[in-house]
Amino acid sequence: MVTQYGIKFAVHLITSHFGNLVSKVCDNLLRRGPLTLQLLIRFTELTPLQVKNSLLILIQHNCVQAFSTEHIGAGGNEVKVTQYLALFDNILHRLRFPKFLAIVSQELDKDCEEIFEGLIQHGRLTLEQISDRAESSAKTGGKPSSGGPAVRDAVREGFHKLLNSRFVERCPAPEPFLEPPSEPKSSNKRGAKSKLAGASETEEQRILASAAPIEALRFSLLTTSGTDLDAEKDGTGSSVGEKRKHAAVDSDEEFGSKDKEVVLWRVNFEEFIRCLRHKACMENVRARLDDGAAIVLKAVLDATRSAEQKVKTETSVPLLMNTIFEEVMKNEAGRSLTLDRVRASLIQLGCPSAMRGTDETYSIDLKKIIELAQNEEVESIVLKRYGRDAYRMFRLLSKAGQLLETDKIADMTFVEKKETPNILYKLWQDEYLHMEKLVVSSARQFSFMLWKVNKPILWEHVLDEMYHAALNLNQRLIYEQEQKELYAIQQGTPTGSTEKDRLRNAKIYLHSSLVKLDDALMLFHDF
Amino acid sequence: MSRLQGPSSLKRKQPDSNSPLDSLSEQERVVYNVIKSKQDLGIWSKDLKRETKLLDNMFGKCIKTLQSKKLIKEVATKNKGRKHLMAAEFEPSKEITGGNWYLDGNLDTEFINLLKDQCVKLIYKMKVATLEGISDTIRRSGIFKVEFTSQQIEEIVRALVLDNEIVEVKSNGMEEFDCIPIGKVCYKCASKGGKAEPRIGAMASIPCGVCPRISVCAPDGVISPKTCIYYEKWLDF
Repeated sequence: MVTQYGIKFAVHLITSHFGNLVSKVCDNLLRRGPLTLQLLIRFTELTPLQVKNSLLILIQHNCVQAFSTEHIGAGGNEVKVTQYLALFDNILHRLRFPKFLAIVSQELDKDCEEIFEGLIQHGRLTLEQISDRAESSAKTGGKPSSGGPAVRDAVREGFHKLLNSRFVERCPAPEPFLEPPSEPKSSNKRGAKSKLAGASETEEQRILASAAPIEALRFSLLTTSGTDLDAEKDGTGSSVGEKRKHAAVDSDEEFGSKDKEVVLWRVNFEEFIRCLRHKACMENVRARLDDGAAIVLKAVLDATRSAEQKVKTETSVPLLMNTIFEEVMKNEAGRSLTLDRVRASLIQLGCPSAMRGTDETYSIDLKKIIELAQNEEVESIVLKRYGRDAYRMFRLLSKAGQLLETDKIADMTFVEKKETPNILYKLWQDEYLHMEKLVVSSARQFSFMLWKVNKPILWEHVLDEMYHAALNLNQRLIYEQEQKELYAIQQGTPTGSTEKDRLRNAKIYLHSSLVKLDDALMLFHDF
Repeated sequence: MSRLQGPSSLKRKQPDSNSPLDSLSEQERVVYNVIKSKQDLGIWSKDLKRETKLLDNMFGKCIKTLQSKKLIKEVATKNKGRKHLMAAEFEPSKEITGGNWYLDGNLDTEFINLLKDQCVKLIYKMKVATLEGISDTIRRSGIFKVEFTSQQIEEIVRALVLDNEIVEVKSNGMEEFDCIPIGKVCYKCASKGGKAEPRIGAMASIPCGVCPRISVCAPDGVISPKTCIYYEKWLDF
């Protein structure tokens, strides 16, 4: 579930990127859930054209997914209804575009970076459009050697690299048909399985799953010549193709003629979030343990990357010691590590020490690393906001994972018995602790206070506060910018003035804080 | 277990034959017996009054007499401000004083912090240390005049873990764990430079992360990021 400030922050991002009309539509979709065009028009009180255009922008930038369901109409006929779903995660990813771009420029070359930049700017593009962009930028750039075909070749090559790294993917179906949830029909077996998985799929997950291109096509160009994708038409069959035609109805002006099959490409957010998750794990391990452990973790993550099915992978696929060692040796810094050192690092990383021998395997608990990083973040908030005694109490309760009595907490944390309830009460008031009152009545009535850290609830609360803080940082950034402009008007030529320096520093400060805070947002929401 | 007391039976003095006990009135005897029956736990004066069912002035008189005859005493407990009474021959138990770490009913923070500091310094010097190792070294160092039980050291070490100054690790028998059996719980300093502050996260390093008023802050509210005094201070270079 998205929290209140999560929605406010997402809407703020959309407002600053696309303006008020689009954000009004987005706001309604985020607050009310999937809506039809008619309902959206009614709720937003905008004209049909305004809503339609806003939706097109949101779809183009992968912030909204359309889908259709069947309803029984007035005459008893089945009517197909199109609804629109706002994709909260994708909206937030807009904040991370510089991070994604940095990963591409680090791992691939300049050509790839340019293609990728185009996709970030435009949301979705055909290969043809990507090539056109490259050609026109080559012309304006005035590179003497770059003729048309050479540029197109370079684009094709760069695009292949992006696809191979899974940094871009085929766009999902524009309007998949969503089967009504078939719970009564589902066999016992499936029911048991979904129970095992914890929570059942949300509607959003079902819609996204039905829109996703089949895995084999997701990262494939399926074409020999590269420039014409007609060959692919036969290959995809009708399932994908037919659905795509609905998009053509809406967007034929933008994407060329109606009868020609268009394949659109977009940034594969999932892969970047995976990269950033890996990075976060490594950074945490480096800070908490040492460089050696971080190198070993990187090796294991690199070797198991292709086997990861989802971003929130809990444990890495078990790897043979030899495989891990080989992977470690690929890294320059890893070459100084001995086999014993690698083994020790794996144990440090929390791997159960497996049997020594030729077939010893190791798998790293990534979920645990993420949890530790989350704990650290929340604990540091408690330390700064409530002081060291509260920090010790919070850590005690967080580690204990169960209810503890006030006096016991005082004893274990060396805090004055009179002071303890006050601190705990303050934490409880701000929703950082859960409290239960226990009344024992014998000759006299005794009441005890029991305290506990309820992580799922607290994590959501902290995340909401973080969205709030991110929104505040953004707003302050806008405010400082306004101040700067105001100052420039008043002063005429304010070069070298201290106020100008202050404003510049403030902007840098706010911006870098936002970048860091966004890492924390991902830590709690995406990892 | 405590450094302050032994088993309570050893402390009980046999009253003399011509003790002041004989001269007590009936009410005084009742009050005394109730207090004495509580042994080293003593009793809160209000509870005592309820139990003896005496009137205010009579109750006060009895207490005064008993105190003047040195049969009972007032003791300091962790519940400060409460008048707590105990028969003279007992020493207050851990439960009412708050335990080893209390001095006259107050948590002896100065002493605790001193011991904590010593433990951290020690662990830093030893790189990794077991509980026994820490206990031994402290005993041999002679810094403290009192002897610590291993349970006391354990309590201190646990608190240091909660402070995140030291971390609990398991020996893998290699390098620094050379002479410690594999799997044994050890402690080492959390940061490489000895005493250090915990890392401050992204949220805690901006004003909103530590703001006590964040729940009433809104874009156009009385408290807003534009008018926030914490932001003013933070961005005042």
